[in-house]
Amino acid sequence: MSEVAGTELRNVDKRFGGRQVLRNVSLKALPGRRLGIIGPAASGKSVIAKLWCGLERPTSGDVFTLGHRLSTLPELAASQQRARIGMLFQNYALFDFLSVLDNVTFALQRRGDIPADEIQDRAAARLRAVGLAGSEHKFPSQLSGGMKKRVGIARATVAKPELVIYDEPTAGLDPVTTQKVYDLLASDHAQTGGTVIAISSDVLALARFVDDIAFLHDGKIRYLGPAADIENVPDLAVRQFVRGEQHGPLSQHVPTPAEDA
Amino acid sequence: MAIRQSIHRSIYNLGSKAIGAVTVVRDLWLLFIGAIAGVLRTMRRNDPSRRPGEIWRQMHSMGNRSLVFLIVTLGFIGMVMVYQSCLQLARVTGDYSQVGPQFIRLAVSDFAPTLTSLMLATRVGAGIAAEVGSMKVTEQVDALRMCGVAPIDFLISPRLVASFVVTIVLSILACGIMYGAGGLTAHYSFGVNLNIFFDPSNVRNSHVILGLIKAASFGIAIPIVSGYCGLAAHGSSEGVGRATTAAVIGSSFAVIALDFVISTLALLVMPGGV
Amino acid sequence: MANLISRMVTATAAAVTRVGTSALAVAHEVGGIAVLAGRVLRRLIPPRLDGRELWTNLFKMGNGSVPIIILTAFFSGGLMTLQSAPFVQKFGATALAGWAAGYAVLREIGPILIALMFSGRVGANNTAELATMTVTEQLDGLRALAIDPISFLIVPRVLAMIVALFALTVLGDLVALGGAAIVAHTVMGIEWATMYYSFADNLAPYDVLHGLYKSLAFGFAIALTSCYFGISVKGGSTGVGRAVNAAVVAAAVSIMLLDFFLTYLTG
Repeated sequence: MSEVAGTELRNVDKRFGGRQVLRNVSLKALPGRRLGIIGPAASGKSVIAKLWCGLERPTSGDVFTLGHRLSTLPELAASQQRARIGMLFQNYALFDFLSVLDNVTFALQRRGDIPADEIQDRAAARLRAVGLAGSEHKFPSQLSGGMKKRVGIARATVAKPELVIYDEPTAGLDPVTTQKVYDLLASDHAQTGGTVIAISSDVLALARFVDDIAFLHDGKIRYLGPAADIENVPDLAVRQFVRGEQHGPLSQHVPTPAEDA
Repeated sequence: MAIRQSIHRSIYNLGSKAIGAVTVVRDLWLLFIGAIAGVLRTMRRNDPSRRPGEIWRQMHSMGNRSLVFLIVTLGFIGMVMVYQSCLQLARVTGDYSQVGPQFIRLAVSDFAPTLTSLMLATRVGAGIAAEVGSMKVTEQVDALRMCGVAPIDFLISPRLVASFVVTIVLSILACGIMYGAGGLTAHYSFGVNLNIFFDPSNVRNSHVILGLIKAASFGIAIPIVSGYCGLAAHGSSEGVGRATTAAVIGSSFAVIALDFVISTLALLVMPGGV
Repeated sequence: MANLISRMVTATAAAVTRVGTSALAVAHEVGGIAVLAGRVLRRLIPPRLDGRELWTNLFKMGNGSVPIIILTAFFSGGLMTLQSAPFVQKFGATALAGWAAGYAVLREIGPILIALMFSGRVGANNTAELATMTVTEQLDGLRALAIDPISFLIVPRVLAMIVALFALTVLGDLVALGGAAIVAHTVMGIEWATMYYSFADNLAPYDVLHGLYKSLAFGFAIALTSCYFGISVKGGSTGVGRAVNAAVVAAAVSIMLLDFFLTYLTG
């Protein structure tokens, strides 16, 4: 592997207490391309997202994000790097003390180098793009799950980040809305370029959106390759997951309560 | 053999508990330093974690909304303490002239700040842990970090300043309430002359300073302990419940333990003076 | 001028309304607690409760609280000695050191501090537990199985809390006197024997009893408030935090009120 790193994990192990979540994971997100990460519940997908944002640190191994070694950067420097990253959290993580508009403008206001009217314009444009014009002054508690998700997408992309990570952008949405969300993400990506990482357990919809797909199971990468080939992978676990079969390697793994937590 | 094993196990348990306690104290200390640094950082006009008006909002929710609670509890405990003292004196000498002067000395140097803070530890401590804890489990704390905001500066520092001010102000108020309620009890139940009861000549500057030092320390300890419990929350709503409970017990205990330490130091530094 | 007066009238009316509303809210909660107390008492004669639940709760609430109660009691005993120190040192009246500290600790400070810590540890935990069960509709689940939630969940917890707090106060009294003696010896240099005779000569058995029967009342109050706010939780998962907060505040208020009235009535 080259020394000049973009966005990648190198031999990453991650433990929480006694529980090993990631085992020697190496994964690269190529600039300008869309990487998808799939896998069963509690396989460590969200941990990868947080590692790439520097919100968690690896137990061992290196994490590079946009050319910086985030795994060893002090919190303050990491915090500056995070301005280049957009993140949609799995459960939206909207600030419940702020209105929809303030949620979207929050990060830009905090930077202090962008004029106020430009922030307002960008936020308004973003909210129009995700179809939430008119809900600016509502609070997160007044929104449905789908609307919260769209606010989360607007918040993640309003700063025109060079890397966007979507954790479960379509969980709990119906197939039509799912496709709409992916169309929105695709048109965003076409406009801004940059790197996109999307995490989902809905393989087929995700496979239409991303270029490459990684399959994560039990903390290990079981497959990494073009999204188009995901249906014809020889690995039994991947095949079972993609086709939704009842019997296979995944069924043998029954998570214990400790792992579930 | 079984006995030896169980002894080994208890020593092991004790040891790991001791290490756990040391770790918690160290983490609390680090959080305290971090929050103080956050207070200084957020004084700068363009700091990303600055939150104008937040200290006022926190002071309102901690102070104004604890007022009735404090007046009721501290008023009654002031009455009980004077009642008990008079009862005891009735058995021995029947001379009530020293009750008021001694009571105000004790109220200023210990009871008012300690009991006020114990009451605030339940109300304010639980509130801080519930708010911060629910932000932690819903990943809002991580979302703050994504926006370049330091969670300690943003969440803990304003609460630290607010609690510091509110605890001192309410301790002074509570002292007055205890004194007044106690005086009325002595007057109506034991016929003590109000002029004799309300004689503050026993209170010296060192008593006032000691009381203020205590109030200030408790006012710092409550948000630090409760904020620590909130930031350590994990899981779902059950995790928030656990954090809230831990905050109430942790900050109450911190108040009692600090009171003991400060009182002992005061006695050693100024024997007979306090 | 007229404008000012009308504004003042509106403001006064608003304030009166606010006071009235909060008074109504308090009355509502007090009434709810009283109804719960009635339901619990009715199930005690003849006793209808789940014995195993009682034992589990006794163990969890009693044994689990021993370390924190020992520490609290030790500190409260030591603190009362420290407070009497100036007197003792000024007049050299070491024989009275144990009297002042013991009297204050046994009658007031000990039972109150132990009850407050118990409310924080056990009461708050109990509220959180019951509130989570209520929010996740487990109480309705019990009813669907024809199990009376009050007999099964509430009565054992109420009894366990009363017994546990009483036992912990007995233990706490001993530890507090020990703490008083230790602090008197190490900080003020008073002999062990002096402290012992100071306790033995000046403290009456009634001083101990006075604190102990108050702890029974505190236990009952903590149990009722924590159970009431647990099962009457509203507003989903955020309600749990609010319920815990309300329960500890209500417990603190009832401890202080009960303390005053019991002291006043029984001396």
